[in-house]
Amino acid sequence: MWARSRLTVCTLVAAVLVLGLTSGLVFGQVLERSETLYSNGQQWGPVVGWNPYSSSMNNAMAIAQQDNARVIMFETPYLYNMLDGEVYPLLADGPFTWDNARTYITFKLKAAAHWSDGTPLTAYDVAYTWDSNIKYSTNAGNNFKDYIGSIIPIDAQTVLVNAKLDANRKAINPLMVAAYLSGNYVIQKAWTQTLEARAGGDATKFLADTAEDVVYSGPYHKFFADDTKVVYVRDDNYWGQDASMWGKLPAPRYLAHTIFKDNAAGSVALAIGEVDVSQQFNSNIQVLWLNYGLPISTYLPGAPYGIGASLPTAYYNLKSPGLDQVAVRKAIAMAVDYPTIIANAMTNQSATFDQVPRSLMNPTPGEQALYDHDAVKDLQWAGNDIAGAKALLDAAGITDTDGDGWREYNGKKLSYVATAPNGWSDWQASIEVVAAAGKKIGIDITTNFPEWSVYQTVVTKSDAPLPAGYDILMMWSDGAGPTQPWGRIRHLLSSEFVGMANNWNGNWGQYSNPRVDELIQAIPSESDPATLKAAYTELVTIYLTDVPSFTLMYRPQSFHAVNESVWTGFPHQGDGTDPPVPPLNLTDGWSIAGLYNLTLVVP
Amino acid sequence: MKHTIRQVFRSGKFLLGFIIFLALLLITIFYPLIIKDAPLAIIGRGTFFPPGIYVNVYDSIGSPQYTLMLDDAAANRIASKLSNDDRLAMRDWLVADGIPENQIDINNTKALLDQWENNYDPKKQVEGMTLAKQRYYLRLNTSLQGLLSTEGAIIAANNPQSGALEESDSVAQTDYVNIKEVPNVRVLPLGTDNFGRDVLTELVSALATSLKIGFVAGTVATLIGLVLGLLAGYVGGLMDDIIMFFTNLFTVIPGFVLLILISFSIGQEHRGAFTIAVVIGFTSWVWTTRAVRAQVISLRNRDHVNLSKLSGHSVVHIIVADILPYIASYVVMAFILQISFGILAEAGLSILGLGPKTTEVPTLGLMMKWAMIYQAQILGKWWAYLPVVVTIALITFSMNLMNTGLDQVFNPELRD
Amino acid sequence: MKGYRRYFLNKALWFVVTLVCAFILNFILPRLMPGDPVAAIVTRMAVGMSNATGVQAIYQQYTELFGTNRPMLQQFFIYVNNVFHGDFGFSFSQYPREVADVIKSAIWWTICLQFPAIIVGWLIGNTLGALAAYLKKGFDKVLMPVSILVSNFPAFGMAVILMVVFGVTLKWFPASGGYGFDRIPDFSWQFIWSVIVHYQLPFWSIVLVAIGGQAIGMRSMAIYELNADYVKYSRFMGIKDRKIIGYVFRNAMLPQVTGLALSIGTMVAGALVAEIIFSYPGLGYTMLTAVMGGDYPLISATTLIITLMVLIAMFLLDIIYGFIDPRIKATQLD
Repeated sequence: MWARSRLTVCTLVAAVLVLGLTSGLVFGQVLERSETLYSNGQQWGPVVGWNPYSSSMNNAMAIAQQDNARVIMFETPYLYNMLDGEVYPLLADGPFTWDNARTYITFKLKAAAHWSDGTPLTAYDVAYTWDSNIKYSTNAGNNFKDYIGSIIPIDAQTVLVNAKLDANRKAINPLMVAAYLSGNYVIQKAWTQTLEARAGGDATKFLADTAEDVVYSGPYHKFFADDTKVVYVRDDNYWGQDASMWGKLPAPRYLAHTIFKDNAAGSVALAIGEVDVSQQFNSNIQVLWLNYGLPISTYLPGAPYGIGASLPTAYYNLKSPGLDQVAVRKAIAMAVDYPTIIANAMTNQSATFDQVPRSLMNPTPGEQALYDHDAVKDLQWAGNDIAGAKALLDAAGITDTDGDGWREYNGKKLSYVATAPNGWSDWQASIEVVAAAGKKIGIDITTNFPEWSVYQTVVTKSDAPLPAGYDILMMWSDGAGPTQPWGRIRHLLSSEFVGMANNWNGNWGQYSNPRVDELIQAIPSESDPATLKAAYTELVTIYLTDVPSFTLMYRPQSFHAVNESVWTGFPHQGDGTDPPVPPLNLTDGWSIAGLYNLTLVVP
Repeated sequence: MKHTIRQVFRSGKFLLGFIIFLALLLITIFYPLIIKDAPLAIIGRGTFFPPGIYVNVYDSIGSPQYTLMLDDAAANRIASKLSNDDRLAMRDWLVADGIPENQIDINNTKALLDQWENNYDPKKQVEGMTLAKQRYYLRLNTSLQGLLSTEGAIIAANNPQSGALEESDSVAQTDYVNIKEVPNVRVLPLGTDNFGRDVLTELVSALATSLKIGFVAGTVATLIGLVLGLLAGYVGGLMDDIIMFFTNLFTVIPGFVLLILISFSIGQEHRGAFTIAVVIGFTSWVWTTRAVRAQVISLRNRDHVNLSKLSGHSVVHIIVADILPYIASYVVMAFILQISFGILAEAGLSILGLGPKTTEVPTLGLMMKWAMIYQAQILGKWWAYLPVVVTIALITFSMNLMNTGLDQVFNPELRD
Repeated sequence: MKGYRRYFLNKALWFVVTLVCAFILNFILPRLMPGDPVAAIVTRMAVGMSNATGVQAIYQQYTELFGTNRPMLQQFFIYVNNVFHGDFGFSFSQYPREVADVIKSAIWWTICLQFPAIIVGWLIGNTLGALAAYLKKGFDKVLMPVSILVSNFPAFGMAVILMVVFGVTLKWFPASGGYGFDRIPDFSWQFIWSVIVHYQLPFWSIVLVAIGGQAIGMRSMAIYELNADYVKYSRFMGIKDRKIIGYVFRNAMLPQVTGLALSIGTMVAGALVAEIIFSYPGLGYTMLTAVMGGDYPLISATTLIITLMVLIAMFLLDIIYGFIDPRIKATQLD
């Protein structure tokens, strides 16, 4: 009886295994390790589709239209380089030019540029892409429709971009018009028309289409995608190997991204060499090369290991009782122990506020040069100033009147909830430190970590006061891009977002200051450096005096760690590349130049 | 009763489990009385300090200094900066630079260092050297500066008037301090975690919380199981059918799935430790109910029960007086297992991020979760997660030992 | 077979009733969770839109599409209707992917990991337990404490330890993934071998814990049986031990079979953790991300499938139990 049942069980197991293997299989080949570049930290969850018009394809490596656009499959006319602040032509031929009145931009397209189906890439494609963006209300369309009037093809190789003009016939925002050229893809007109025919003019269908047949111009396209990984393969007919662009093909034949469940799994893979380029927050990454001698490096050899570009910020809900008082806001911000946040939450992967005093600008030299440091020196607090914070509160008359250890304002005890989304470990750790600071100065701050899906729905609703439990909330701010620091300042402080039902832009604390709005309006059209510097300095002064929100740390644009067990030649500080290649995982903006510099460790 | 208890305590397994459990319990009670630090206080700036004795460097400069002349001091100093692997790496670099191998003696430290200083140039490009290796040599070079010098270090202070640095003290290479005379020394037997909290203090506090959660969850589950099992077993009929129906339902929907759903629905704000415990209790009573019901069914036709029925006692009285004492042993065993299960369930939930709030109290599951988020197991920071795993294993192990011991007492056939 | 009819009818009735109730519960529970997932999708879609009416229009469109604006009862009937057509709807968190598609890619991995692990764990555990009861002395003294220790390891503890010891330190087995990180699925032997190699650590992390539990239970049952009267009587009669063992274990196994049915539920929990720690594809992690994202259709579908698997397993086991346990047949006949 035993033998028989054991046999049946074995055959059952074998049958199940075989059946299991037959579902969802594709005939393919093994990826040669020396031909493949593995990444992690970009793709979480399986790829949904390949439609560049849609923002919900969850196809992180191929579709990301942002300031440093991801150009491995779809391409933009220009590439932004966050290290020197310049834009370099990709599909375009030469720099773009404004007319004298700054009302329109013209640029030419490279003659060599062509699509994956062989047809040439022309200005008609650029124009049709813009028209489709508007017609189907895509993200790209929504973001720029207030600034770009139209895009006209003058001839097959020349593009004219008309800015939207205000009543004085001046461009409303020339910065944003130029930003479109380095942040948004050019998509083939013919394929778009096929898609439109399929969707029958229905915008929802248009955006939901998974576009397996999409035509692209970039060097890589789909090779394989399932629940555990996505692989892109190089197109050996890629137009970019022409002498007018890169002159050769990118080094790796395959770009692969294994889909990990969480950060820890990805870090293990990086440590054992199954990942070459990591865009994850790998805490204490220096242990891997200091203690274990692994061939892992970051862009910088020591702290902060990466180039800080964005400013994760703690926003105050300005309608909470007591938080409408500048003294309270500034006192809490002064008392927070920032060195501990940077050392514990970010494990030193951020510059400290002693190295880069706080302002509205990120640590890159380009942005730091834009404001007058001496003028705001006294306002730039370094943190941990318990005595100063207490003095500030006492001077404002906010003291502990009933002896319970907590200060009161208008008779009510000062009690706040600091929130961050659950599961974002470095943010959670930072908010814990903020809460600890409150205790030291007599303000009761507790923490709460709602799920991201709940958090985002509450925080992005700016047409009503935020609900209880959201007094100090942590959110991001802009990183590096062609419109920065203006874009960041606008997203932090502009009152245009107050009252929006679906506010993904910023100013979630609903701050409003007319002088700030004035400056934000004026800057994009201003070109005199002295006036600009004065304007930025004034904005920094207002920000550090009013404290509607405060920066918690500096965060790199992308985390960038590499394992040199198979490939070498990754961008690093002092690598001699000119223009310098930014550490953006070799896929974003000018960082894609890095793919052409890679060599094998063992040729 | 007294006899049973005496038997119980004579059982080897039960005694061992009981001792372990009692030890853990006493630690959670007495440790906070001796060490009064707040368990969640952030004391470290930086993550994962290794276990050891931390001596305040500033105070040790000001403490009485003693001169000890030890032979191996210099060798120790050199070995800590220049391991054997480092020497081999230096040789590899020099060979790649063109120096013949027979001229390099890695055991002659002075000669090696001289050769290195004369030849090393960070700008030299060596064939096929990765960036990581280049940086390694840079770091090595920096750390080797002044390795063989016999001079001490100079402590300088800022002169308040002139603003210049003036020498205030000097430290020779033979100066030692006695730890007992340094005012600020902190022992961290298990180092710190990713938040910079003292792991040992946090662990004891987490143990107390987890035990409480387990206890509450176990009580709730056992009570529900007991009541339902008694009703189902004794009353029988329709009540039995209804209760068995619910039991089947709860068996079929995996308890863990239910736990996740409910935990998530409650939301973080209301997820205190106590609430989680109750929720766990509400989803894990199935097994107890079945066991109790089975026992009661076999008991309900016994003679003494029939006698009570004939005597006209009420149902409640019969249940309490005639049935309950006989299943007491099962209930106690079930209770112990439920506590153990409650602790494990809370740990599992916390690992998934659905456990109690992080900032109020630490729990064992939360400590594991943070350690894993900050990748302690990859970085080799064993003190952040291994003690937690061992503690959980010890608790459950001790409870199951007690359970097995009890089992053997009540079922003599199982004794070995 | 005649005697079995009542027994099977009874069990089948239970199966259907429980299925209906579980179905309803699976539908209701996720929808009780806070947060509006449609709003989450809409906010993603409408990034950058500055006018409220535009956003409102999109929100309307999607609530229509997902049917969340209808009363609960109506939603339920639509849901039942769709399920019978195999349409589980769109996944909210992975829109525009369909739920059926998400589950289809994940389910085979879960089935192939969990069921063999459960069965193997059960078989090995019971064999060890039975041996311990029979052989007594040395083997028993070692097996008991080891079983207790191992069975009480939390599932994640075992998974983490196996990963750190065998995956990272000794490098005997890969630390993550369902198959080789550099492999594309095909029918080659290397691929199948890669799958098998990656299967080991998650498989053993579930099995080892299961063995411990089963061994203890079986040992107790077997000891009871070995001390039963019929065993002593048979021995006195001179019947060979080997023949007696057959009967002893057959009797001891009965409660273990019901135990297997009950423990399938807990196995799912163990597999969920193993899937996360080893980055192994499967339903467990799909369900967790669905819960975190408030994705009702996906949660309903995954819990329904898990429930269904457990129900079917229990039903089958009840049937098998009916055949194995002659007392069932006996009660049917009177």
